[in-house]
Amino acid sequence: MTTETKSAIRRVSPVCFAAAPGESEDRDGWQVVTRYENEGEEGPWLVDLSHRPRWDVQDGHVDALRPGGVSVPQEAGQCRLQDGLLINRMNRTQAAVWHLAGATDGMPAEAAYTDVGEATLMLALFGPQTLRICEKLSALDLAGLQRRPPFLVQGPLAHVPCQIVVAQRNSGDFGGGILWTCSRGYGRSMVHAVLDAGREFGLRPAGEQRFTDWLPSLSSD
Amino acid sequence: MALMITCPVCGPRNGYEFRYGGEDKGPRPAQRELSPGDWFQYVHANDCADGIQKEWWVHRDGCGVWFTTYRDTTVNREVPPPEEDA
Repeated sequence: MTTETKSAIRRVSPVCFAAAPGESEDRDGWQVVTRYENEGEEGPWLVDLSHRPRWDVQDGHVDALRPGGVSVPQEAGQCRLQDGLLINRMNRTQAAVWHLAGATDGMPAEAAYTDVGEATLMLALFGPQTLRICEKLSALDLAGLQRRPPFLVQGPLAHVPCQIVVAQRNSGDFGGGILWTCSRGYGRSMVHAVLDAGREFGLRPAGEQRFTDWLPSLSSD
Repeated sequence: MALMITCPVCGPRNGYEFRYGGEDKGPRPAQRELSPGDWFQYVHANDCADGIQKEWWVHRDGCGVWFTTYRDTTVNREVPPPEEDA
């Protein structure tokens, strides 16, 4: 089933899965797959979120800004999730704003904001065994037992510099969920590496609906 | 043991995440009346200390921040600042 709304601009995700789309829709110029065939019911899943709006915020007084009405976390590495809006504090002067729920009232007019949605890709990996897959992809301590999700780690995943948010960590089954962004040029290689690492755990590409269903289970800071 | 570097933003990380940025030679010399010889010394001449030296590093695969730290070149380990610089 395909539904369409008119858009003047065609946007192409840098991420491409070798899976058959079950349902898709045209949204603001993006062809968004909401469900793939053979996603499976157990997970883990890998979801392309490159169409979700993302802003970079840089300002000497970034603490004073309130993107989407949400305050910026005080310290680097901290995240704040509220009403589907995730804000990651990167350093003294910079934060990233990810619209996980998709909705945005438009970017604020201040010069501090830059739309980076078309410069980067965004992926979500979640479900059982997620942290085991992560251990194959990175030497970073994404299990981060000393920290409570959501938290930000800036470092290499599959040897690619990424902003990684550990959004959920389950006790017992190494399950949980991470979201990450990196330069869009790495799209095909990144997906290939992640799916290859996750094959032994049953990792499959999934449509946006899986993520939408999972999002309410995330706790805030 | 692999080199570990402490990023001021991200904390201790594997040295492979960083790129070396050269010795810390202090502030850039004033442009006015700067001789070619002095500029050459600032840009190209290095102390290559046999021991602890202050260096620039960039967290290339992480947050991207540039910072200085101290490294003992004889054992290739990051070390605390010497007392006179602490």
